[in-house]
This record gives sequence, structure tokens and C-alpha cells, in this order.
Amino acid sequence: MSPAGRAGDIIGLDLGHATAREAEHWLAELPPVVGLTACTHLVHGGDRPRVIITVDSPEPLTLPQAGSPAADEAAIAHERRRSGRAVRYPGHEELTGTVSVAYLLGRTAIEEVRVLGGGPQPTALTLLETRAFVRPQWLDGHLVLITTRAAGGRIAPFEVPNPTPCCGGH
Amino acid sequence: MGLHHHGGHAHDHAHDHDHLTAPVDSSHVFDTSIPDSELSPGEVSRRGLLRGVGLLGAGAVAAGALAAPDAADAHDGGPFGRSWHQGRRSGYQWLAGDHHIHTQYSSDGMYRVIDHVRHANAYGLDWMVITDHGSLAHAKLGVDLVNPQIVAARSDVPDTLVFQGLEWNIPAAEHGTVFVHPSRNEVAVLKEFENTFDGAVTNTTASTPANEALAIAGVNFLAGAVTSRRIPDALFLANHPARKGLDSPHEIRGWRDAQPRIAIGFEGAPGHQAAGIPAPFGPGSGRGFYDGSPSAQSFAPYPLESYRTWGGFDWMTATVGGLWDSLLAEGKPWWITANSDSHTVYNDTSDRGPGSDFNTNGRYNDPVYGGGKTATTSGDFWPGFYSRTHVGATGFSYAAVMDGLRAGRVWVDHGGLVDGLDVKVRAGSHWVTLGDTLVARRGSRIQLSVTVDLASQPNWAQFIPKLARVDLIRGAVTGAVADRDVFTTARTRVEKSFEVTATSGQVTFTYDLGTLDQGFYVRLRGTDGNRTAPGHLGAVIDPVGPAMDVVGDADPWKDLWFYTNPIWVVASR
Repeated sequence: MSPAGRAGDIIGLDLGHATAREAEHWLAELPPVVGLTACTHLVHGGDRPRVIITVDSPEPLTLPQAGSPAADEAAIAHERRRSGRAVRYPGHEELTGTVSVAYLLGRTAIEEVRVLGGGPQPTALTLLETRAFVRPQWLDGHLVLITTRAAGGRIAPFEVPNPTPCCGGH
Repeated sequence: MGLHHHGGHAHDHAHDHDHLTAPVDSSHVFDTSIPDSELSPGEVSRRGLLRGVGLLGAGAVAAGALAAPDAADAHDGGPFGRSWHQGRRSGYQWLAGDHHIHTQYSSDGMYRVIDHVRHANAYGLDWMVITDHGSLAHAKLGVDLVNPQIVAARSDVPDTLVFQGLEWNIPAAEHGTVFVHPSRNEVAVLKEFENTFDGAVTNTTASTPANEALAIAGVNFLAGAVTSRRIPDALFLANHPARKGLDSPHEIRGWRDAQPRIAIGFEGAPGHQAAGIPAPFGPGSGRGFYDGSPSAQSFAPYPLESYRTWGGFDWMTATVGGLWDSLLAEGKPWWITANSDSHTVYNDTSDRGPGSDFNTNGRYNDPVYGGGKTATTSGDFWPGFYSRTHVGATGFSYAAVMDGLRAGRVWVDHGGLVDGLDVKVRAGSHWVTLGDTLVARRGSRIQLSVTVDLASQPNWAQFIPKLARVDLIRGAVTGAVADRDVFTTARTRVEKSFEVTATSGQVTFTYDLGTLDQGFYVRLRGTDGNRTAPGHLGAVIDPVGPAMDVVGDADPWKDLWFYTNPIWVVASR
């Protein structure tokens, strides 16, 4: 590690993680800086599909030297709020159990909730089953949580915490 | 005629052997090429009687054994599921099957081959493919060890055809069914294929151009094995293609274009259809275990919606004007199937054999009774219990099933939504059925005729499904695409919906497809009408299509659909 992260800059890190899960394990080791936002970005295609991390921290952080053109691109996308899936963001630790959309919008950095797959769009009172795994993404300048309908008239994040592994996981 | 011997299941003789006393003087009644509408009321009634006892079954007619009680026995009281008991449709015997089934030779399976074969047979399947996962243990041990069990099952249960195949970890992509016609070399070819081309065995799963090329080489290898007569035949179908976004459009086009005789299609509907049953009574997962989201390996342009099933069907098939239609609009034969992907069965009472060491032995020990608990977190059904792939075959044989699959004479259903389908597209007296291409003069009047045998007896969930609607989907043939990653086509939509009010018997539709100008194709979709929504590409294209399945809240029995493969119509000069 070297003191590569300056406050106010968005740092892109190309650590060669193959999956978002690996990248999240790495991110879990970052110190609990108030106001920190960290995202994962998918690099598709080519000979090395992988996951890039971007970190936006209000305080200087000690980060590895792991730049690359793809990491720079991801940092720009994060800065412009065009893409990036947020793992750490203000308020993320509040999102466990079932919460209302109003609570989610009021207590976290998430700015918008969308529902995929038809059905009514959520109201402030709609209940969200967080599954303690809420990963909003930058879309059109906003931090947006994509959800789908869930049992009992509720909604839940589109992304599930433990998707079925390739061969049933046995 | 090789009559189907029922290996030990009880026959239902509740019909009092009517067939023994039924007069056999009316040839019209027995000639299934003559529609009911052209018979007298008395003949229709007699035909209904004969159909009911199975005497109008394809086997009985082909055998010329109208008065032979054993011919009738081969079909009477036959288990629900077999579609040929409704008679020979468009000259074919429609054989129900499943090309995707796992046994104790898969790292995540448990059952013996015979367990699956006996269930499949009881639940009405005529053919099935054993497809254990490609893996180091399978390549080294399983592919050999499973063969004697398959060979034994062929003779123990002679009225279900049992193919050997494997589930290929397609390099750079998802899984696929690969299977071969039984022969002396079936194991040798599968084994060489697996050791050379399986992504897990050769560490080539990553979505890279080199690995994509290896997948094409694998398809070419299968074609070569057939051409060189090492094996009589081989087929490849892509499994759960949209599950993880791994099968890009250019890869699918690549497999097909490399060997259209071998790479023939993908699962229109995946297995694991019980996976969405709500907890605590079911797994509470995504229907089909479709609960993923994009990864670095996936094809970036696929939308999030593609990672879920829609009415139990894969998004590539369920989306009118979507990826499947984009291939059909190119004029590329590419077929859909349905299957169980059965590994561990929902609410089954058995456990893996104790003391198993899969990696050392290439298998789990035989399953045992689990002591009173049921597998509520298992997401699969037995083969034939829920999903069926109906193949129009020229006879009851391995070759005929493979030929029918390759020809696309295939329709699929869930939950026994309908008993039978007969689809014809005509120009004058000339007609073709599913998978075929009608070539007619420009300016010809083209007509579609559809006969649906409504479900006549309870399915395995103990209700008689009610067909509510049949949709006619039509697309223009627009030719090759410049961008091989395109996954929509602009000129395909639901052209007409037929509401179904009858609750029993047959319903017949005819529809005027107009005067032939530009080439087009049609395909059909039917539904129980329980869960619908505007299609993914908008209500103008598909106003009342399947709805996206809800993770943790998807009762598969309350959302039933059937899909047919397409028929093309092109103008001759």
C-alpha cells in the first residue's frame, strides 16, 4: 500500500478481481470513513474480464498502486455518475431487514428507486426487503436502486446476495 | 411393430374393453388425415370413442392392428404426458421428452439412472437424455461408469428411449446438452469431446475470444464424429442461455453457423421450475434458479430483465421480437426446447447415499430414504412431471427423435397445458408443419390452421389446465444481420390472439395469413392467462405476454404456457 488516495479524487483500482464478490471482500477492509463511496465496475470482453474498484473518499486513504487505463475509465465514469455499482455509500449500514422507500431515501445516499418487470412504481410507503444487500448504481447522474417485485406486495433489490452458483453449489 | 411394453406399471382397464366390440368398418374414422369436421356426427362420435381408448394411436394405426387387443393395450390408459396417444398429427408420432437430466454422476446430483428413467416413463416421457455435468471427475470416471446403467435402463424400460449425453461447460459460455445416438462408440466420443472441449476440464470457462473459438472447435468435433461415422448422430442444445448473461448473441450465431446440423437450438424454458415456490414450502428462489445479475463474464448489453424467467421461459425465447426472433428473422433454423434439469427433486424424500466420495469415485453412492423429511429447498421436478418437449417423429426410435429435433418439429409445454397440437401452414393443398418452410408462389394465399387438443385429464398437480388464449406471433424474414450481436428484430409481433372458451375436446383455428409477398415466419404461444404483462419490448409488439417471474413468489402451476417452433413461408421465383 502507498498513500495514493488524495481526498477529493476518485481513485480507480485494477486489482484483477474476477468477480464482484472478490472485489467486495477487498472493499470490506477499507476503514469506516464517513462519506466514503466505493463502487465496482465490470470490465467485459477482451482476454481478461474483471472487476475494477473506484473509491471516492473525503479523507486521504492508503491505497495500493493499481492503475490501468480501465481503472482510469472507471474513475471517470464514477465521477460523472454514469456507471458503477456502489458497495459502500453513505447510509449503507442502515439497510438491513425491511425498510420503507421513504426511510431508504431519507437515510442513505440512494436518490431513486426503480422497479423492473412491470407493476406499479414504488411509493414512499412501499416496503423494501433489503436482504442486507443493497447495491445501487450510478445511472444518469443519480444513485439509483434497481428493484423487482417481491412476495407480499413488497419490493427487493434486483441483485440477490447469494445467487445460485453454476452447478447448484453442492 | 415394436409395441411399447409397459415395464410393470398398472394399466387402467376402466374402459371395459370397448375397443373389442367397436365395429371397425369405417375407414374414414381411422384415417387421421381426415379432419373431424369432414366426418358425419356418428363418425365423429365413434372416432372420439376410439381415441379415448387409444385405438386411434399412431402405433395402433401403423401396425394395422385395429382389432388386436395388445395394440390397444399399448396405448389405453396411457400415462398423461405422452402426446402420441392423441393420434398421429400431420403424419408424425409426437414423442414427449427431456434432454437435460442429472444423476449421481454429477457433483450436484443424487439419483440413479433407473430412478430418473422410471419416473420419466411413469410421467409420460418417450425419450430422455442423461446429461451429467462435464467435470474432471466425470471426464475421468463418470462418463464411463454411467453407461452400463443407461444400457440397462434401455432394456429395463423399453418404451422410453434413453440417450447418453453430458452437460457441456461450453468454453466462454453457459452449459449445453451434448448427446449422441447410441452406438459402440457413444462413450468414447463423449469422453474425447469432454476431455478436449469442456470448459471446466480444460480451464477455459472465461469469456475470452480464444475460449469462444474452442467452443466452435467442439461443435466441429461433433460434426466430424458423425461425418466420419464414428457415431451415427450428435446434437447440441444450449442450456439456460440467459441465466447468467454468458451466451452472447455472436456466440450463439457462431455455434449455429459452424454446424447447423449439430447446434440446433436452446432451452426455451429452463428446468428447476419449482425453484420459485415461496418459502417455507419451497426454495423461494428464482424460477429456473434464474436469480443472477451481470458479471464481468457476461455480455454487457443484455438488460437486467434478461436475468429472470418470464412465465417460466428464458428471456431469449419469451421476448417477442427478442433474441430468438432475431435469429428466426434471419431465416436461421434455431429451435427451442423445455426440460427438467432434474438434480434433486422438490419434496422428494431421499438423501444422497451416505459415505459418498464424489471426487474419488466419480459418483455419489445410491440414494437412500431420508427418514421422513422432504426436500423443500430442492427446485426440480422429475422428468416429464412438469416440462415436456414434444417431437414429431417418423417412428419410435433414437434416430427419429434426433431427426425430429433437428427438423424443429417441436413444441413445448409446462404442466400439461394442452394434450396435443397440430399446426399447418398451407398454400392451396400444399402444407407444412412445425420447423418446416413452405415454399409458394408469390401472390399465393397462405393460411394457418391449428388444432389444439385441450387438456383432458389432470396433470401431476391434479388439476386439468385450462387454455385461455393462443397467440400467433409473426415476423418478417429480413435476412442476415450486419451486427452479429444484435438481439432484437423490428418486424416481429403478436399478430392475432385467439381466445379459447371451450374447456374440453378440440379447438380449431384457421387464419388467413394473406397473400405471399415477402418471406415471413409464424410461431404460436398459448397460456392459461393467469399471469400476463406487456412484453419486454412494449405493448405494441406483445400486449399480453408473459410477466417477469418474481423471485420467491412463483408457483409454476399457476402460470402455464406452451410455445411452438416456427414455420417459415418463402416465395419461389
